[in-house]
Amino acid sequence: MDEEYDVIVLGTGLKECILSGLLSVDGLKVLHMDRNDYYGGESSSLNLTQLWKRFRGSDTPEENLGASREYNVDMIPKFIMANGLLVQTLIHTDVTKYLNFKAVDGSFVYKKGKIYKVPATDVEALKSPLMGLFEKRRARKFFIYVQDYDEKDPKSHEGLDLSKVTAREIISKYGLEDDTIDFIGHALALHNDDDYLDQPAIDFVKRIKLYAESLARFQGGSPYIYPLYGLGELPQAFARLSAVYGGTYMLNKPECKVEFDGSGKAIGVTSAGETAKCKKVVCDPSYLSEKVKKVGKVTRAVCIMSHPIPDTNDAHSVQIILPQKQLGRKSDMYLFCCSYAHNVAPKGKYIAFVSAEAETDNPEEELKPGIELLGPTDEIFYHSYDTYVPTNIQEEDNCFISATYDATTHFESTVVDVLDMYTKITGKTLDLSVDLSAASAAAEN
Amino acid sequence: MPSRRRTLLKVIILGDSGVGKTSLMNQYVNKKFSNQYKATIGADFLTKEVQFEDRLFTLQIWDTAGQERFQSLGVAFYRGADCCVLVYDVNSMKSFENLNNWREEFLIQASPSDPENFPFVLIGNKVDVDDGNSRVVSEKKAKAWCASKGNIPYFETSAKVGTNVEEAFQCIAKDALKSGEEEELYLPDTIDVGTSNQQRSTGCEC
Repeated sequence: MDEEYDVIVLGTGLKECILSGLLSVDGLKVLHMDRNDYYGGESSSLNLTQLWKRFRGSDTPEENLGASREYNVDMIPKFIMANGLLVQTLIHTDVTKYLNFKAVDGSFVYKKGKIYKVPATDVEALKSPLMGLFEKRRARKFFIYVQDYDEKDPKSHEGLDLSKVTAREIISKYGLEDDTIDFIGHALALHNDDDYLDQPAIDFVKRIKLYAESLARFQGGSPYIYPLYGLGELPQAFARLSAVYGGTYMLNKPECKVEFDGSGKAIGVTSAGETAKCKKVVCDPSYLSEKVKKVGKVTRAVCIMSHPIPDTNDAHSVQIILPQKQLGRKSDMYLFCCSYAHNVAPKGKYIAFVSAEAETDNPEEELKPGIELLGPTDEIFYHSYDTYVPTNIQEEDNCFISATYDATTHFESTVVDVLDMYTKITGKTLDLSVDLSAASAAAEN
Repeated sequence: MPSRRRTLLKVIILGDSGVGKTSLMNQYVNKKFSNQYKATIGADFLTKEVQFEDRLFTLQIWDTAGQERFQSLGVAFYRGADCCVLVYDVNSMKSFENLNNWREEFLIQASPSDPENFPFVLIGNKVDVDDGNSRVVSEKKAKAWCASKGNIPYFETSAKVGTNVEEAFQCIAKDALKSGEEEELYLPDTIDVGTSNQQRSTGCEC
């Protein structure tokens, strides 16, 4: 410390590590600090001892659960859309070389008390009991329209301006039933609630296209991929990228305090009596809590099990979406399950998560519909956290604060926040279609 | 559980900042040395094909990328290592004294299944400096340390002039190979996310 940096990043959550990596590649001098002695912050993956310490206040987990080090339990469980923004970012930066991924076995949707596989192939679609035969024909016409839709080609629009027509209107044009709308909107477009119906249809259509493209990408049983050893690998991979390009890392730095000058501009960070100077500060909400406001709350159950989730065809990894309307809630509930097949638990163990935006103060009662789908659990932990967004004016104080991770089961909103922050910090827009390593290889020739 | 024959061996290099870790791997893989000292920038991992008994292996040598400077290596860096190389500077007593910390840190973070027999190799680098006149760690002292840790192999090198570098890494590769073969790792099928080709989907989704 006691040096001068372009940017000091506080907290090693996934958002902060992606930014640290991108900024270092851009040639900025970056110092990255975290109060913990591990990477990941709120988006870390914990071993069993860490899990027990956090949720049970003790250092000694049950011995029959297996070795602590074999657990990598995500604190922000999300799957990665195979053709989504996070994969594009990984490829753009060549961070894939530090990681290994598996396709997620399946995606399911909850309907009237039962779960149904979201079809991944034409054959599955024809057999699926989610729709009747005539409804399948109507849905097929709709999907062909979506598949053929190209924003830049007016012929594919079939006379509809999707920036004006609402999702409800386009659905009505194809005569789809309420159950079908629920399924498409929540299990394919992955909307969290029903607000999208009265919004312009363009976002709805793009999301369905993303789902289809992600499904086709690796031709697994679902549109998702997931890293071996859990999501805590992602912050570490981006942190290594930053380090390779000159970023300085300091874990285990207690109380990182942002210093401001007389006009309220951030000028540095003090920790353990030393101050590093900088032009800009990037951090998660916990490091500048006076500059954020609460916008919601996420509630979650983390479960250790010795079996796959029932009725998932013994899947090692699975997502189950419980649409709000099925539960009488304001937003969806999500189940996420991974297992020893991903090296996140010992042989025979599964880790399941039930997540939702909190609508009550009673997580156990609120999450019950999801937990009842799990079957017996060896251990269950409940936790809730408030979600924050920044309230500061970045031009005035040179502080760039990320938003808290939401309850959604994938990373699209996470990367949107990162890209937005990147533009605010640097004044540039990131072109994810460029593969940086390929570009630099071409430059070397 | 399925496993496939291992042809990729992971070697990690640990030691204090400035002892020459990056230079050692560059000398071994690229036969290059740079006098310009910067706390490591741009070093990542390097690969080299090695051959043993008519079999080809890829040695993947991981540098710390400078994250060791403030003790900020993550658990992912250590995971799956087949051999751990500890490096100190023969002209720096502090870097020798810190070897115990590095070895213990490795054993904690990597959690090898057989810690007593996990292969370490010790390298004392920079023997060329000042023609050996500024040396402060004797060979005898270093060998005693190796003996106390289960007789681990010891090499004295100069990354600058190339002294003993090839010999050290031959030993490292041999130990990594032996370690890698004994460890029946569970290697799940993974997918290749490295390509950026955009596939067009065919047929309808549902």
